[in-house]
Amino acid sequence: MPMYQVKPVSGCDVQVDLPTCMYKLPNVHAQHGNSCSPEHALQNGEVDPAVKALEARQDEIMRKLYELKAAVEGLAKTVTTPDADLDLTVSSSLSSQVCSSSTFKGTTDLDTLLGKDLGALRDIVINANPAQPPLSLLVLHSLLSQRYRVLSTVHVHSSVTSVPPQLLSCLGPRHADSYARHMFQLGFTLIWKDVPKLQMKFSVQNMCPIEGEANVARFLFKLLAPYPADPAAATLVDSWLDTAFFQLVEGSTKERAAVLRALNSALGRTPWLSGPEFSLADIACYCCVLRTGSAASAPANVQRWIKSCENLGHFGPAKLLLQ
Amino acid sequence: MTKEAVQGATEEEQQAQSKKAMKKQQKEAEKAAKKAEKQAKLTAEQQTTEEDDFAKDRYGVPAMVQSQQKLDRELVRVQDLTPEKADQLIWLRARVHTSRAKGKQCFLVLRQQQFNVQALVAVGDRASKQMVKFAANITKESIVDVEASVRKVEQKIESCSQQDVELHIERIFVVSQAEARLPLQLEDAVRPDGEGEEEGRATVNQDTKLDNRVIDLRTTTSQAIFRLQSGVCQLFRDTLTNKGFVEIQTPKIISAASEGGANVFTVSYFKTSAYLAQSPQLYKQMCICADFDKVFCVGPVFRAEDSNTHRHLTEFVGLDIEMAFNYHYHEVIDSITDTMVQIFKGLRDNFQTEIQTVNKQFPSEPFKFLEPTLRLEYTEGVAMLREAGVEMGDEDDLSTPNEKLLGRLVKEKYDTDFYVLDKYPLAVRPFYTMPDPNDPKYSNSYDMFMRGEEILSGAQRIHDAQLLTDRATHHQIDLEKIKSYIDSFRFGAPPHGGGGIGLERVCMLYLGLHNVRQTSMFPRDPKRLTP
Repeated sequence: MPMYQVKPVSGCDVQVDLPTCMYKLPNVHAQHGNSCSPEHALQNGEVDPAVKALEARQDEIMRKLYELKAAVEGLAKTVTTPDADLDLTVSSSLSSQVCSSSTFKGTTDLDTLLGKDLGALRDIVINANPAQPPLSLLVLHSLLSQRYRVLSTVHVHSSVTSVPPQLLSCLGPRHADSYARHMFQLGFTLIWKDVPKLQMKFSVQNMCPIEGEANVARFLFKLLAPYPADPAAATLVDSWLDTAFFQLVEGSTKERAAVLRALNSALGRTPWLSGPEFSLADIACYCCVLRTGSAASAPANVQRWIKSCENLGHFGPAKLLLQ
Repeated sequence: MTKEAVQGATEEEQQAQSKKAMKKQQKEAEKAAKKAEKQAKLTAEQQTTEEDDFAKDRYGVPAMVQSQQKLDRELVRVQDLTPEKADQLIWLRARVHTSRAKGKQCFLVLRQQQFNVQALVAVGDRASKQMVKFAANITKESIVDVEASVRKVEQKIESCSQQDVELHIERIFVVSQAEARLPLQLEDAVRPDGEGEEEGRATVNQDTKLDNRVIDLRTTTSQAIFRLQSGVCQLFRDTLTNKGFVEIQTPKIISAASEGGANVFTVSYFKTSAYLAQSPQLYKQMCICADFDKVFCVGPVFRAEDSNTHRHLTEFVGLDIEMAFNYHYHEVIDSITDTMVQIFKGLRDNFQTEIQTVNKQFPSEPFKFLEPTLRLEYTEGVAMLREAGVEMGDEDDLSTPNEKLLGRLVKEKYDTDFYVLDKYPLAVRPFYTMPDPNDPKYSNSYDMFMRGEEILSGAQRIHDAQLLTDRATHHQIDLEKIKSYIDSFRFGAPPHGGGGIGLERVCMLYLGLHNVRQTSMFPRDPKRLTP
């Protein structure tokens, strides 16, 4: 509003004698004036008691939240081992926080990431060609299952005649509760299908299919932890991802050697590829090094990094497949 | 003499007249001469034909086969006519599919079921002109015995199933003659929809086809459809037998309506009346109670529903499964879906030619499925529909258009034409359906869909007489009428579940056809009782 507010000069309820010979219309001004008056009755500098009350309430809520946070942190400290017997129904997010706190920092919320829960399982469908098992996605799957209650299913599409048994069990043993789909937070449906390019479908209505292992890996990783807020760091992760999938896996021997040299020099500067933290870049590059079988001939820094990756214990499912 | 005298007498006066007469006479004489010549030629020709038809014994209509003699002649199948048989002299029995005379030769297409081969009768040292004429005049669809030598052809014969060989006929005999006027032409009956309209050619409408089913069934499309159907039955039996199921036979004349009571045919039964079985469910369940553990049956099912839709028949073949399970009714779902997947795989691997044949007339996308079969819950289905803009309540049943839409949504996301929808609302299922243990709104029941149409409806059945009575009362069913059903669970019954599949629907949907009458050999619907 361009001008400051002034109290009405006269009271609102001035009685006017109206002639009765004509029909009445509602007062077009009265509505506006009435709604304005209590709000703008306050001159500059004065504070509405209602706002004061609201502020007080907000402070109270914030204080309670801080208390709760402290309580939760205290609780988290008491639970030292990831496989401590926690009641899943009490707080699944709490237990998963504990499990993955060592791996990824930052919280993610499925509702905000994947849209409001409509009372049905949010099912991520991945179509993959059995000739090129998506190792990095299997790793991300096992990380996701530590964070959320994930219903994992493997199907074979009719376009594929037979699939090796290890591909059928690549998402681990069946969950004991898998008969009740509604008890899960997230569905991970892997379909071995004759597709030229790996494909992911989530919401058919609002989302187009995502193609390429790298892109699907980005999508899945965002469910685990937010991308680095710093654009430079985020770009670094992205660029390693593309390097891994386009140059390491699809590239020529020459290109591969070049990537290994680049990895070596990057790992000479920082313990992990994108800096001090383990990230998606490490997952992708590790899986691609593993797939191309160039681990043995890798330079020293890369060898050390491979050891560190293996020590994390996330890559079990991927290694199992390659055997 | 007279001629001369007359000529001499009237020479002067009737010169003009005589000239005219002469001309006339001359003409007449010429005419007569021509006639005589023609006559002579004709008789001569006749004589020569009678004398010269050296091939007289090589064609004709022999006496009707009344099993007068048992020949040891070996008949070759059309499908076995391959280049390996080249230059052999063989006997063959087949139908005349088409015949086309062209000067001194006649091309025949001989058909045996879905296979056909080109044959040729040509004037030469084996066949006479008359034989060619005889061959050309054999009516379509007649059955003939031919002796012919197999010849390789240089250019593939595109119009026949045996593309690499043709037959050079040396003898041809008509075994059974078809009437000259056929109620429908086979080529018209297999013409793809739409193509006929464009080119101004005839197509045959469904009722004409069904009225003349015998001829319609001879078409390659029908042959393929019913061979595939037989395959479905065979695979169903084999798979279930391998799983340890027992095939049972159940009565079709029953005393009381099995499900609720509506939609049953009443038949007179001596002094009283009986019903035609709507489903073998009661008997399947009794077999489970009699410790058969896992049973299936293949048999007719009758529904007195007056609905004239593309997917309803009043009599159809039901493939019914019922089995006792250990702890969870998903064991039943797994068994049924695995059976279906085995059937689909068997069809995909062994019936590719039949599928291709049907596709020529009725093009459709190949049937896609997942193994193990995708199982969604009803609430998920409802959520998917709501996301697509459909307004429906949690406990509403799926309408047919919604089923179709859900089928499309599922296909879009999972790329499968076959899936299971589990946990239906209790309110929309029959009284014998076991309620869900955790949520009284839902039930342990499931439907299976192929290309978005329901093919199987099943559930865990209530195996406790008391609960069954309660549920029946809740549904306001007369307990007297279902007394025998409830009583069968009074002497200990294992937990069990099952379902029934419509054979015709499975074939229709697998092939992507649009009418169940195409996959029923002699369909029965509210408007058709013949043939």
